[in-house]
Amino acid sequence: MKCIGKSVLIFLCIFSLFSLTIYSPSTAMAAKAIPGSMAEKVPKVNAAFDVNKMGNMSDFDPSNPIIPTGDTIKIAVVWPFSGPGALNGEIAWIGFAWVAHDINKRGGIWVDGKKKLIEMIKADSMSKPDQAKKICERMVLQEKVNILVGTSGSNIQKIINETGATHKVLTVNIGSLADELNDATNFSRYNFMSSDSTEQIGRAMAYFYGQIRKKEKKFYILCQDYSFGHGLAEGFKTGLKEYYPEAQIVGEDYHKLFLTDFAPYLTKIKASGAEVIYTGDWTPDAGNLLKQSRQTGIMTPFANIFMDEPIMLHEVGVEGTKGLMHIDHYNMPNMFKNPGYVKYYSIWHKLWETKWKTAPFNSTLFAHGTGTIGSWTQQIYWMLSVVERAKSTDPEKVIKVWEGDTYKFVNGRIIKMRACDHKAIQDFEIAEYVTPEQQKVYFSIPPYHWFTGASGPGPAWLVPAAKALPWIDQKLERCADKNGWGE
Amino acid sequence: MDATTSMYVAQGIHGLAYGMVLFLIASGLNVIFGMMGILNLAHGAFFMLSAYFCYSVLNLTGNFWLALLLAPLFTAFFGIILERFFLRKMHAMGHMGELIMTLGVSLVILAAVKIFWGTENLPVKMPPILEGMVSLGGLEYPVYRLFIIGLAGVVLAIMTLLLYKTRLGKIVRAAVSDREMVNALGINIPVVFMVVFGVGTWMAGVAGVVIAPILTVFPGLADQVGMDAFLVVITGGFGSLLGAVIVSIIFGLLSSYGVQFLSQLAPVVMVGFMALVLAIRPSGLFGVKE
Repeated sequence: MKCIGKSVLIFLCIFSLFSLTIYSPSTAMAAKAIPGSMAEKVPKVNAAFDVNKMGNMSDFDPSNPIIPTGDTIKIAVVWPFSGPGALNGEIAWIGFAWVAHDINKRGGIWVDGKKKLIEMIKADSMSKPDQAKKICERMVLQEKVNILVGTSGSNIQKIINETGATHKVLTVNIGSLADELNDATNFSRYNFMSSDSTEQIGRAMAYFYGQIRKKEKKFYILCQDYSFGHGLAEGFKTGLKEYYPEAQIVGEDYHKLFLTDFAPYLTKIKASGAEVIYTGDWTPDAGNLLKQSRQTGIMTPFANIFMDEPIMLHEVGVEGTKGLMHIDHYNMPNMFKNPGYVKYYSIWHKLWETKWKTAPFNSTLFAHGTGTIGSWTQQIYWMLSVVERAKSTDPEKVIKVWEGDTYKFVNGRIIKMRACDHKAIQDFEIAEYVTPEQQKVYFSIPPYHWFTGASGPGPAWLVPAAKALPWIDQKLERCADKNGWGE
Repeated sequence: MDATTSMYVAQGIHGLAYGMVLFLIASGLNVIFGMMGILNLAHGAFFMLSAYFCYSVLNLTGNFWLALLLAPLFTAFFGIILERFFLRKMHAMGHMGELIMTLGVSLVILAAVKIFWGTENLPVKMPPILEGMVSLGGLEYPVYRLFIIGLAGVVLAIMTLLLYKTRLGKIVRAAVSDREMVNALGINIPVVFMVVFGVGTWMAGVAGVVIAPILTVFPGLADQVGMDAFLVVITGGFGSLLGAVIVSIIFGLLSSYGVQFLSQLAPVVMVGFMALVLAIRPSGLFGVKE
């Protein structure tokens, strides 16, 4: 009898573990590589971020960065640092300053026969094309920068890319998602789009609803009325046709940027019977849309990419943010189970808690360094890893290394640069926002929640890269006859 | 009320609420232009500044009503300072000088806001009593938006009474019509204009507080709403309070019904209406030909 009892107990233990694996989406992802995911497609990466090689970050303060001068690797950070988009500049700056501090503490990068430190230079685009043109020219001709990196706003990124192409200077796009930036018309060998792109986001979201979640069927598209918003919507519609043909788009609207009153759109959405509102809105529109929807009694969940700004989430509160479906270009399911990532995260979070006392870096927006901040920071690390492996700042040598390169972010995300059109391939995470008590499934280290005043990522799923490959323009000669992987 | 009817009614009330917000901003701008001939390009910045004051007062006291009282007064105080120490001296140099001065002041306010409050989005919570919905014959409608309509109505009534039923109103209107004559009667015109400027910025301040719980308070707030206010003033006719009221409501309704019926054209429907009005009446709907 004892023996039978023991066997039953062992069986129950194994069964419980098995059940946990089945019912915890995050854990399920870790068990083995999902078909079509980067982990399956790229079993061995060319380079990876190694947290154990990081420099001493204890004196890092984004408000007072130590910027070296002299014979350095000069990088222009082309972002709006003034005007309505200035917050985006601050978000970018902390990433650039962080990476430069880290690399410089390691002693710099060995290029062109000697070790050089990284010098980041703020180049204020003010979100204005004419100013962006002027500042990019100045950075190239006067400051003699090695790389121009941008930015928030595809119209500004286009100017950065054009400047790079004219002067044969490397340009990197880590912040603009418009597919057309690297199409047959606009492609430049000197530009690398290490960010994700609109069609990827749209198709990944459609795949999630059609092939993973399989619940809601009625979608309302509400995006900003410019190329980015339309691109995201097109990607979603394409994805629904492919992955969820029985889904129904019950309405589609595009609103002007920086809209004041969303109520008329929300009333239409309510009347449409939509079960999900799909939006690509970014701040401040994202916050205002969410806030006004809850104020007008509409609790429909948003499938979103930029509705993750913590200050805005806190304003709406736990109940109002519950159920949001957020697609992320940095976070990964199970990343808090990765000791390397936890170490990296802890360095950042501890500095935020103890050292960053000046606005805006002392706000909750910068508490975790995840999401867009994490994505931009790791993309900069990738860029410098390529320069280091090229052993040169010569654009031709860097291009040679970066085309087809693969890199692993600190949180396990694998990214590949498609050689033919310089667009990045990666998996995507989609997370459901749940109350702080339920966030332990994701945030598996103390305090086991992101914030106490708002819902945040809980159950998370991985959309494999193969299901949301970046759009490829076959008219671009270099990409003719290539598949989505660029092969 | 059936679902379709309630949707159309809701759109109408949304239009009215947004129109009232526009009125609050635009009427302050209009009062200043109408009485003093100054096109105050810093008006949007004052509106934004008041939203920031509201945030700070709310943070310190937790009392929205106190913020509604104090923030517009602080804003008006800065408006008075601007008029007394900067614009008054520029007045002799003509409108171009005033335009440049107010533009410069708007940039200074923007920079100051970033220094004192930072660039991040700041939350302003509405008072609990104004949260939630109220039933209007079966239509569930947010209480706060009805509050906006009511408050704007009160401000409109006060402004009308002040301008048309008080001695101060008579003096102001007389000063607009014939400044020298009023001056000769022993009335201190510069002080009158300073008060008018203060009232105009106070109205921008009220709008800033009222809109803060609906919108994100951030340094781009002035640009976000300021342009619509200018469109109201131009379409309604410079200096016309009646024009500001009527055009604000028309703009609000065009905006909400535009989204309902012509959503692709919604972003330009206000501008289209302005173009139509100006083509027929270049001085605006209720503007007076110079």
